[in-house]
Amino acid sequence: MIQNRIKRLMVLCVLACCMSAPLAATELVVWHAYRGAEKEAFQAVCDQFSAQSDGVTVKTLAVPYDAYADKITAAVPRGKGPDVFIFAQDRLGGWIEAGNTVEPIDFYVDDEMRERFLDNTLDALTYRDIIYGLPLNFKCIALIYNKKMIDSPPKTSAELVALAKKHTNAEAGRYGLAYAYADFFFHAALMNGFNGGVFAPGPRPTLNRPENVKSVELILKWSKQDGILPAEPSNALITSLFNKGKAAMIFNGPWFLGEIDPSVDYALAPLPALDEAGGNPMKPWMTIEGVYVAAPSENKDAAFDLVNYLTGAEAGKVMALKGRQLPANKAVYQLEEVKKDPIMQAFVTQSKVAVPMPNLAEMSMFWSPATTAMNTIIRGTATPKDALDKAQVQVEKAVAKLRKQ
Amino acid sequence: MSISRNIFRVTLGLFVGGLVSAFLGYWFAEGALREKVAETRVRQGTIRAMALADLVFAEQSRAEKEKTAPGALIQFWQQRHNDVDAVRVMRLSGARLLASSFNDDLENGTPPRRLKRSEKEIYDLGQLLRANVDTNREEGNPREPEVISEELRNGRLRVSVPWFTAKNPEKAAGYVQLEVSPTITTRELAFWPVLVLALVPAFLFFIGSLILSRLVKLEHPESVLWSAMTTSVLLMIFCLLGFGNYYLIDLGQENVRFQQELAQLYTASRTSAEEGAAEFALDYETTYTNDWDVNAYRQPLRYISFDGELYIGVGTAQDTVANRLGMAFFGCSLLAIGLLVFFGLGGAARFWHIIVDYREAYIYTLPAMTGMLVLVFFPFGYGILLSFTDQTLYNTEKPLLDIWAGLNNYIEIIGDFNLIQTTEAGWSFNYQNFYWTLFITVAWTVVNVSIGVTIGLILALLLNNKNLRFKALYRGLLILPWATPNYVTALIWKGLFNREYGPINHTIQLFGGEPVAWFDSVFTSFLTGITVNGWLSFPFMMVICLGGLQSISSDMYEAARLDGANRWQQFRYITLPSLKPTLIPAVILSVVWTFNMFNVIYLVSGGEPGGSNEILITKAYKLAFQDYRYGYSAAYSTVIFLILLIYGVFQTKVSRAMESNA
Repeated sequence: MIQNRIKRLMVLCVLACCMSAPLAATELVVWHAYRGAEKEAFQAVCDQFSAQSDGVTVKTLAVPYDAYADKITAAVPRGKGPDVFIFAQDRLGGWIEAGNTVEPIDFYVDDEMRERFLDNTLDALTYRDIIYGLPLNFKCIALIYNKKMIDSPPKTSAELVALAKKHTNAEAGRYGLAYAYADFFFHAALMNGFNGGVFAPGPRPTLNRPENVKSVELILKWSKQDGILPAEPSNALITSLFNKGKAAMIFNGPWFLGEIDPSVDYALAPLPALDEAGGNPMKPWMTIEGVYVAAPSENKDAAFDLVNYLTGAEAGKVMALKGRQLPANKAVYQLEEVKKDPIMQAFVTQSKVAVPMPNLAEMSMFWSPATTAMNTIIRGTATPKDALDKAQVQVEKAVAKLRKQ
Repeated sequence: MSISRNIFRVTLGLFVGGLVSAFLGYWFAEGALREKVAETRVRQGTIRAMALADLVFAEQSRAEKEKTAPGALIQFWQQRHNDVDAVRVMRLSGARLLASSFNDDLENGTPPRRLKRSEKEIYDLGQLLRANVDTNREEGNPREPEVISEELRNGRLRVSVPWFTAKNPEKAAGYVQLEVSPTITTRELAFWPVLVLALVPAFLFFIGSLILSRLVKLEHPESVLWSAMTTSVLLMIFCLLGFGNYYLIDLGQENVRFQQELAQLYTASRTSAEEGAAEFALDYETTYTNDWDVNAYRQPLRYISFDGELYIGVGTAQDTVANRLGMAFFGCSLLAIGLLVFFGLGGAARFWHIIVDYREAYIYTLPAMTGMLVLVFFPFGYGILLSFTDQTLYNTEKPLLDIWAGLNNYIEIIGDFNLIQTTEAGWSFNYQNFYWTLFITVAWTVVNVSIGVTIGLILALLLNNKNLRFKALYRGLLILPWATPNYVTALIWKGLFNREYGPINHTIQLFGGEPVAWFDSVFTSFLTGITVNGWLSFPFMMVICLGGLQSISSDMYEAARLDGANRWQQFRYITLPSLKPTLIPAVILSVVWTFNMFNVIYLVSGGEPGGSNEILITKAYKLAFQDYRYGYSAAYSTVIFLILLIYGVFQTKVSRAMESNA
């Protein structure tokens, strides 16, 4: 009786094994944080890959954005994570230093692959000269203007100031230009325009370099002397000003477009060049969503094929047209449908001069002192030089303590 | 009864203490030996690899025309050294395998050739070494390993070192990887001292006591306890000293032997490198320093001179072993003596009786105790352990002992009195200083709890009015702030305090005031936190007070009125004293909660401006997840714990005193 049962069980087991064998084909798990149209487009691309490749299926998992980074930090190094995941470059350095999270894929990346991405985007995913991921989408700020007020967007900062002055009436709450200039992410456009920066070379903080001071002085001139900027440049204020037609021009990114009131007729243009910096263009910081192979993945080869496919032209097309994203693949912008899209063209033009935001782990130490410095400068309680010096000391201390040995 | 129970206990203590410390000590000694062997094996592989890397350097630095793949070179190297099983030379530029005698590589095609897609690991290792060399050079301190070694399952060792070219002597051009079977032989550690330590003291003591008890008849055999304890402790210490010294000397001698073998090996490598350079007509001369015997950061160890002399004497060799092992032995000795005292004085016997007598109770609480152990005490203990290390984001993979920092973190936190900064512009507080944060935290706690108690009490008194209608409605409404998740409340308040759109500033403007930038100055920013936390904390106090008020008998008030007491006197002499037993525990709890009220500070002011309004717990969070200094942050948390512990002990004493007065 019992023996019979055991036999039956064994037969069942064998059967189960046989049945599951065809299903046991490679399954790649991908984590992302997309929602809405972006999620649908991404799912479509993954399905395409599954359909095309033999025996490889892709399973996507959308993780809520707030918990996403911590989930990767906690799960991936312990082998509980996905095969492939997507994240912006800002956390990359920390994950690489922590180890066993992101697989270097430098070896797979040939010259042809390097060539297919927009300038600089691959740099964002390179750490210590090793490529750790391929760029999927990029985001950066550009000039958004109200067509009713501005006929042709300014090409230089002098034109910008002249145009903005015309549309400024502080008493009526109207401003020619509005953007979150106290936020270092937005300010970076000016800073990089002066060839400034926050870390260089390597992880050495250089917050108070003269170029940065000059860029902050220009902001002070615009807001205090020219008076073309609102006093408290919060994001909510800028949205409301632009939607009420009280701001002629703003600097903002693709995430902002969804917030614009349908009644506002707007257009985009690249940020103007800075006469004060010898005609250099303003170079905003660019965030790049990279696709990474997880270091503990058991299917790294297949995983890289997926990474390669996701960042290819075919996938880029779907994500651009269906998901309204900005793929980092150059070929996408040669498509007729995309060429006709002025918004995408504006951002891709802007990306050519944009600078990838540093991917150092130390960036997390920079934000708080830098924000404090900007606030004190704008409030006028400290000179740009003093405030940046102070921030520099703070960041320097934190970096030195972290990297001592 | 010839032998007292005490003698048995002490003998048992000597046996258990000796046994435990002997096994622990043996385990440590064996670990130290294994560590030394592993280190020596790596050094052997490193010397071979570094020497070959020098030859590869010379070979690859030749003019373009004369350059050949170093295949013949590695063949020569392998022939000259029996311990080298396989060699691989890899060049990063073009991802090329220049030469290899690894079977796997040869199956994939004869080098020189480009690496195949399946050989990604070979390439990745090269990139890692190159990046590590770059990082160490850029940062000016060695942090990343430049010699990577790996023990293989088959008893062999794989060592990889970078090689350079004359054109670019600072940038690793590739790496040389050797698979070696190290020739270092070791012998098993002698086991007899363990048995000696476990058995001899106990035996000696027992026999001695036996003889003594025959010779001297005591009227009160129990009174010998102290002299027995002293004797046994001395006996134990004597045996422990012998035990420890035996292993330390033994390991020291073993270490010297390792060094001698390495010196021979080095000299042989040197000879063959010179011969190799001659045979292949390489432009290479061996230097008059030993640059091949290096640590993981490619820094010369300088134990062996270029002509094979040992710089390291027996004494130094012993010291290098003794440092950690000596500490471990010391710990073992303390444990042994602790056990001896525990057993000898009867602690163990009592402990055992308690467990046996209350076994059901212990069985019932076992699941809870296990849960507490795993979920509370383990993380707690780990946090404390971490606080003695220098762990940061960059060294999480290192064992904690390697990054041991002792009390440094605590000294840095508590010993930093740099509270006031002076610049040309004048002086200001250093908001990053621990004492500033502590001051803010204490101020924050005191103000919050006072506000919570005051408002809660006032509202409770109002609600306790018997003639009040719709009492349930008011009570429900007033409890609402407590029922809402506190982060929701915190975020709503943050919106209310907004400089531009916040209703609070709108109200101020309505009355003709200037809008206030709430988070820009220390005081106003502090006020926002107080307001939010006051809003969050009064309902709890109100509920507690209400409960307390309702339990006060109305007879007392009636009696007081008959005696002519006014409202204030009633409140002062009846209400407050009756409330005390309910209020005091609530205040104690509330102080601890407020002290660690992370959400309100983190979400509302975020410690602005410039970190001045940070409280200790949010500061600890930022140290860990913004500055990535895990060890330091753990020390910070431990300091918070200690402060609360002191507060708790103090508070209990005070409340006990008050209870006994009452």
